[in-house]
Amino acid sequence: MTETNPNDTPKDIRVSKERGIMRLFYHDGSEGELSSEYLRISSPSAEVKGHGPGQEVPQVGKRNVLITNIEPVGRYAIRIIFSDGHDTGIFNWPYLKQLIDEKETRWSTYLQDLNSKGLSRD
Amino acid sequence: MPRLMGIKDQPTVNGKILTPLEGHGVKVMSMGFLVEEDTPMIWRGPMVISALTQMLREVAWGDLDVLVVDMPPGTGDAQLTMSQNVPLAGAVIVSTPQDIALIDARKGLNMFRKVDVPILGIIENMSTFICPKCGERSEIFGHGGARDEAEKVGVPFLGEVPLHMDIRKNSDGGTPIAASDPDGPHAKVYAEIAQSIINSLDGAGFEGVAPSITFE
Repeated sequence: MTETNPNDTPKDIRVSKERGIMRLFYHDGSEGELSSEYLRISSPSAEVKGHGPGQEVPQVGKRNVLITNIEPVGRYAIRIIFSDGHDTGIFNWPYLKQLIDEKETRWSTYLQDLNSKGLSRD
Repeated sequence: MPRLMGIKDQPTVNGKILTPLEGHGVKVMSMGFLVEEDTPMIWRGPMVISALTQMLREVAWGDLDVLVVDMPPGTGDAQLTMSQNVPLAGAVIVSTPQDIALIDARKGLNMFRKVDVPILGIIENMSTFICPKCGERSEIFGHGGARDEAEKVGVPFLGEVPLHMDIRKNSDGGTPIAASDPDGPHAKVYAEIAQSIINSLDGAGFEGVAPSITFE
């Protein structure tokens, strides 16, 4: 976990009607949009990241995973409950910000990774 | 807690909800009310978490000005549960001034920083011993260690509680010095610490810190 910057704390978190998009609005007026699939495969949970570098578990077939619920965690994070039952990921404010800022590179890395392993989003 | 606050009753239960007891005008709930004084709580993490959650959520606290949770030292299950399950207004670190204690105090402080719990400040406990016979000051655990630490890490230093017989005696006797001798020098120390904590809570603008979560 990293030290947090107050600007990383969102003002509003909105989940779209069909539960596939999470939009974050910040105090400085900026905003970001994250898909439920991208959030799901980026879950900081040990079930996804493993217990150390090199122990990551490839996340496959998450194309249709949606956001079922969001629970606040203290003052620093949210827990996202996904429609595939995954509920152990605690997304803190700096991590969510990072997911927005690095969306393109992270997403293409994920797709390449799936590709090279012969795995699929479906 | 029952001993310190001079409370000998047991809390009443209304359905699932416990009614807090009152001592010196303060509502109190403690595991100490539910077991004999010499019974240890031999618990693993999940039990600690469930007891903590019960004390917070299943007690008829009513409207409070401040809820103070006295925590054991450490950065384990109890502290993590507090920082995850409750949007805390802040944490106060209490430490003796000696280096060995300060090492742990620093860890506690850094843990709260990682989970965005504001640090309201550090209190130095057992700061100085003044000999009742000759009036000489003995700095048994060293002196100023917590103040230096607070300065170093950039958090407020809230005050020094001396190592004094009257404080100890009154605490053991269920007549805490702030209540039994409110105009005395020791009570003044406590009052000043409490006031500076209240000041920083009032200035915290706690409302509106957490983001709103909306499902469209």
